[in-house]
Amino acid sequence: MRLDERNAAVGRVRDHFPVGMRVLAVDDDPVCLKVLENLLRRCQYHVTTTNQAVVALRMLRQNRDLFDLVISDVHMPDMDGFKLLELVGLEMDLPVIMLSVNGETKTVMKGITHGACDYLLKPVRLEELRNIWQHVVRRKFSNCERANIDGYEECTRPSNADFDHVHSQITGGTPDQCGRPSKKRKEYHSEEEDEGEESNGQENDDPSAPKKPRVVWSVELHRKFVAAVNQLGIDKAVPKRILELMNVERLTRENVASHLQKYRLYLKRLSAVASQQASIVAGLGGNDPFMRMGAFEGLQGYQSFASSAALPSFSPQGLLNRNNPTSFGIQGMSAYRPIQIATGNSTISHSNGDPNKYHLSLPGTSSRQGNLAQGLTTSVGQVQLTQKWFHEETEDLSTILSVSGRANNGVPGTLQSVTNSHLLQHGLVECRQDKVVIQPSSSGSSDRLEGTVGVSSSLMDSCASQQRVVPLSAFSTSASPMNGSFCSNAIAELGATSSGGTNICPSNDLRVARDNKVGASSSGNVILLSPDTVPNQKYLNFGGGSNLRQSMDGGNTDNLLNPKFIWSCLPTSLPPNLIGSHHPMSQRPNNGNLGGTMVGQTTASASTAAPQTRIDMIISGDTPTPKSASDLSFPRVHSELSSSSCSFDGLLNSIIKVEKDDASFSDDLGCDFYSLGACI
Amino acid sequence: MDYSNLRRQAASMKKSLFDQGYLDEQFCQVEDLQDEASPNFAEEVVTLFFKDSAKLISNVEQALEKYPKDFNRWDAYMQQLKGSCSSIGASRMKSECMSFRDYCGQGNVEGCMRSFQKVKREHGALRQKLEAYFQLLRQAGQLVLLELPPGPGCKN
Repeated sequence: MRLDERNAAVGRVRDHFPVGMRVLAVDDDPVCLKVLENLLRRCQYHVTTTNQAVVALRMLRQNRDLFDLVISDVHMPDMDGFKLLELVGLEMDLPVIMLSVNGETKTVMKGITHGACDYLLKPVRLEELRNIWQHVVRRKFSNCERANIDGYEECTRPSNADFDHVHSQITGGTPDQCGRPSKKRKEYHSEEEDEGEESNGQENDDPSAPKKPRVVWSVELHRKFVAAVNQLGIDKAVPKRILELMNVERLTRENVASHLQKYRLYLKRLSAVASQQASIVAGLGGNDPFMRMGAFEGLQGYQSFASSAALPSFSPQGLLNRNNPTSFGIQGMSAYRPIQIATGNSTISHSNGDPNKYHLSLPGTSSRQGNLAQGLTTSVGQVQLTQKWFHEETEDLSTILSVSGRANNGVPGTLQSVTNSHLLQHGLVECRQDKVVIQPSSSGSSDRLEGTVGVSSSLMDSCASQQRVVPLSAFSTSASPMNGSFCSNAIAELGATSSGGTNICPSNDLRVARDNKVGASSSGNVILLSPDTVPNQKYLNFGGGSNLRQSMDGGNTDNLLNPKFIWSCLPTSLPPNLIGSHHPMSQRPNNGNLGGTMVGQTTASASTAAPQTRIDMIISGDTPTPKSASDLSFPRVHSELSSSSCSFDGLLNSIIKVEKDDASFSDDLGCDFYSLGACI
Repeated sequence: MDYSNLRRQAASMKKSLFDQGYLDEQFCQVEDLQDEASPNFAEEVVTLFFKDSAKLISNVEQALEKYPKDFNRWDAYMQQLKGSCSSIGASRMKSECMSFRDYCGQGNVEGCMRSFQKVKREHGALRQKLEAYFQLLRQAGQLVLLELPPGPGCKN
């Protein structure tokens, strides 16, 4: 039946929530899936199944309102369940339940920290499934309450009768209780969108209702936030004071509070991965609307999408080809999670044409306009992979892509995140990376170059050429070729590249260094190293369905910007690590979504991905702007190569404070976006 | 009567499968999911299981040959098999899978090989038994259908 008919039918059923709750079940094991499907049907849920995570994502991206809840297996061949989890949490803000045979504490913990609202062990029992509807309600509830305390009436004004019904069941009474604080559930709260709501009154529909508007934490907003936090000191930063410092209208304390919570988690994650190889996430700035990055897959590499119109020109290091697919080689991102930063969290928000869209999820990026390329490079030491951070609250955390504010003309300002400064602490042999320099310079364009993200690649300690990653300056990628002008400061920094030449020449095209070898060419290409495993490759393609390989011109209909920037600083010596998280960034349908997935994969194998890694950046910025999806395919970076820890720490950071020392970098940024191990 | 005899036989066969540990209560859940909408659900799932598990077993086998000592890989494949087993309640197979994974964890190649052989044996044994069981059920069901159209629940 037609979609609307079906929805209507489903809607009718939904009136008796939880009966008819729409569940999407994902599991590659056909036996489990079949059993699960029937169990769910037995609970009277409405079930859709798929055995592929990519298909699931595609369905969700097409219309997140089709589902209330997602249940996913952890171990799947085409995509890691955690990645899917992050992506879904970031992009769609749906509750996700993980399933696994593996009940080890650390795995369960991983699920929780990635935002799963529950973790079930196989074989799943009927009784357990009967209760899963609670997660849907809980989430709606906390969104409501988080939305704004003042506006809690909105919450109490459920649009559907059943919500009301449910609501009263939950609250046990009057709807007025919507405003009551819900316990902070860290696990999924952090994942919850809770994007600072800029507008009051988040809709509070019945739990199964379609999406609720989110507050968009634009890059600018986020920058302010990080600046405020830094000013206060991360330990002392309280929402109230932050709010005061930020001085933004219509932002509520609750918005800040939830954003802060996510930020903290992000930082924690960063510090946890600090020891791992950092991958540099190069964010590519996309067109003006930012590319919202859907969840980044941390491990895999980020894809930065570049707006079709203009790909941010990346820093010379061959980072990204502006126009078309930029291939990043992200290296060094070891598989460790941190890289995940990009995943899921980073959402590069695309600006719908407004300049403020650039959200850099880089915390601390003060770039105003938003597009800060957040080059997340996780330094080895710091593992900055801002994984989740990126995504957090703002959909736009486009850390990687910092779209330069200019969006106005739709030309995306792309930012490139670059940088990983301090990352490469290990002796990255080649790291050069730092390159993720994005040059914002849009000459003369109205676009502003947003802060340059300096990617400092402190790669390799051992490498002689340690260079500070030049911050990527967010540059607005406008159709016009970007001149590679780095922020001066950034440029200065770059000099050091080991290869001696990270040339930061902004080229219109972002070209990702393809070579995954660590030895990233001195050209500073960012090499996206894709993880050695083939499956990782898939991540590359993950990105809204469109395969990453699509060339920009092809225009990704998927709206996924998949900028894949893989900046990986790979220390040759390091074991293969996944670089970059692959996060498909998908924007809200309405906005052109930027699905950028940064895929940073370090391929363990020596076979460096050939220059091929192109990162197709699909930048679907504003709808008006043509979206070109460029898939960034990151070359697999050898793990050996990479392990560069490039910390991206948020291009924003770099923008704001160029070259902060590593520590600060990582603190500020969570490399959510991209785990770009930029190895040059 | 024939069919009740057959059904009795099927019931006792099932009981012995449980007693011998071939199956556990997850299998009951699977059977419980059978209803008018999915009248052959249990058999379908079991059939699917054997088809899928045969593939997974061969994956493990290949991995054992092609990737010597790649315990991580072996473990990953075996984990998939274990997941399937647990979904239908194939209890003995599941135990063998777990012990295989333990050996992987210890880096014990010999242990892995031995354990893998056991997994295969259990797989074969379970397949035989369940095939016989469903065969019996079908016969009992058919008989019931033929003789007593509105008979007492056809499937047991």
